[in-house]
Amino acid sequence: MVMNERISRLMDGELEGVEAETAFRELHQHPDGLMTWACYHIVGDTLRRSGAPIAGFSERFAARLSAEPTVLAPKPRQVHRLPFAWAAVATVAAVSVVGWVAVSTLDPQPKVMAKAREVLSARAPRLSAQQVSPDYLIAHQEYSPTTQIQGVGPYLRAASAEAADGRP
Amino acid sequence: MISSDILGVRVARAALIAYAVLAGAPPAFAEDAGAWLSRTALAAQRLNYVGTIVYQHGGYIETSRLTHLNDLGEEFDKLVNLDGPAREVIRSRGEVRCYYPDVKVVRIEPRTFRNAFPSLSPQQQKTLGEFYEFRKAESARVAGLETQAWIFEPKDGLRYGHKFWSDVATGLLVKARIVDERNDLIEQFSFVEVAIGVKIDRAMVRPTWPEAPPEWRVRQLGPVENEIKDTGWTVNHLPPGFVKTVEGFRRLRGMREVAHLVYSDGLVAVSVFVEPAGGAAHPIGSSSQGGINVYVRQLDENVVTVLGEAPPSTVRQIANSVARR
Repeated sequence: MVMNERISRLMDGELEGVEAETAFRELHQHPDGLMTWACYHIVGDTLRRSGAPIAGFSERFAARLSAEPTVLAPKPRQVHRLPFAWAAVATVAAVSVVGWVAVSTLDPQPKVMAKAREVLSARAPRLSAQQVSPDYLIAHQEYSPTTQIQGVGPYLRAASAEAADGRP
Repeated sequence: MISSDILGVRVARAALIAYAVLAGAPPAFAEDAGAWLSRTALAAQRLNYVGTIVYQHGGYIETSRLTHLNDLGEEFDKLVNLDGPAREVIRSRGEVRCYYPDVKVVRIEPRTFRNAFPSLSPQQQKTLGEFYEFRKAESARVAGLETQAWIFEPKDGLRYGHKFWSDVATGLLVKARIVDERNDLIEQFSFVEVAIGVKIDRAMVRPTWPEAPPEWRVRQLGPVENEIKDTGWTVNHLPPGFVKTVEGFRRLRGMREVAHLVYSDGLVAVSVFVEPAGGAAHPIGSSSQGGINVYVRQLDENVVTVLGEAPPSTVRQIANSVARR
């Protein structure tokens, strides 16, 4: 299995055990792998419209699609459901329409990666710090190696004015 | 357009491969990183110090007074913020109390098993070398002290970068910074002045409120057992380098049986909490508190809360691969 396919299958939750380990090792060892991973996620997010919303994209796409002539196919082919990452790659030209390619691929890797992460983290609803109980922060803090070298300082995160309120 | 993009990708990839080759130095420094961490942890535990610490994160700047006493091997800390609503953190013989007087709440984390640094396992040392490049940086003056800066630079995009400044004379950490891959500041703790090795009285580390006042709510957090206990939960696709260091049940938010698993790469940790949703509405999504990123998701009848000093994508990856063992 080539690396890109393995990454694709990993994202589709199809890899277990040794195969998953291999995929993660590739992600770690090959910068290409990490780029592929990030790109697939951006593409996937964009297709699922779970990243940054693009104003009017669906409407324009629907209008263009309905303007296309109907093709009468002689015989319906058996349809294989593609894992979304592969489908996503096939649709990469369409994705360029929605502008993520505006992040020039000539940019140094960190910038592209940062963009990828922004999109990734944008997918989940943003919670305010107050919505996460400081209980979790306090419970976590002690087990972090950085707390061992920083003393009590990191507990400021849980005591921060921004974080802490009286929520149960 | 397309051909120039392809060319761009090729150029970027060639640059990345060159970078990977340069960055692929042998992990000969692993012991050094481990030794430095152990030394720094010991300094934080053994020295007496009192100073003013500035905590900077996401546009916020908060100033606090920090006092640390080692009295015949027992550690006592007092952390009081100086602006905004009053907050107080007291650490006394391993028990941590966080006082929130404005909302009349005190949170108590009982003394628990501390995975102290001097016992950094060989596996953790190896991990550090594999996933961070540890190096000595510049000498600098911080809080009026001569300090030496040290850098843990991640070799992949799954970790933040860390920079530490330690006092040359005593080894005490006086400044700690977390940056992202663009070298942008995520969080920084820094003493603006600190007195090290001075006499500290027990009175200086006592809480302002010896007991919680009667009308306050006490949030008693339950400890995790000392040994690893099977919670029935696991993380299927751990990011490389993270190994499980703690697993057990604890009490949080008044609930029993919250599974708590901790995964560490030797420098930072990510906690996984799994609890029954119990019919109540739980906010789902991501959040951050300084260098800590949080991701909360629903998994069948359970709520999974994952947080740690790692980038949002890493925390999310862990959260999304939590599963029944």
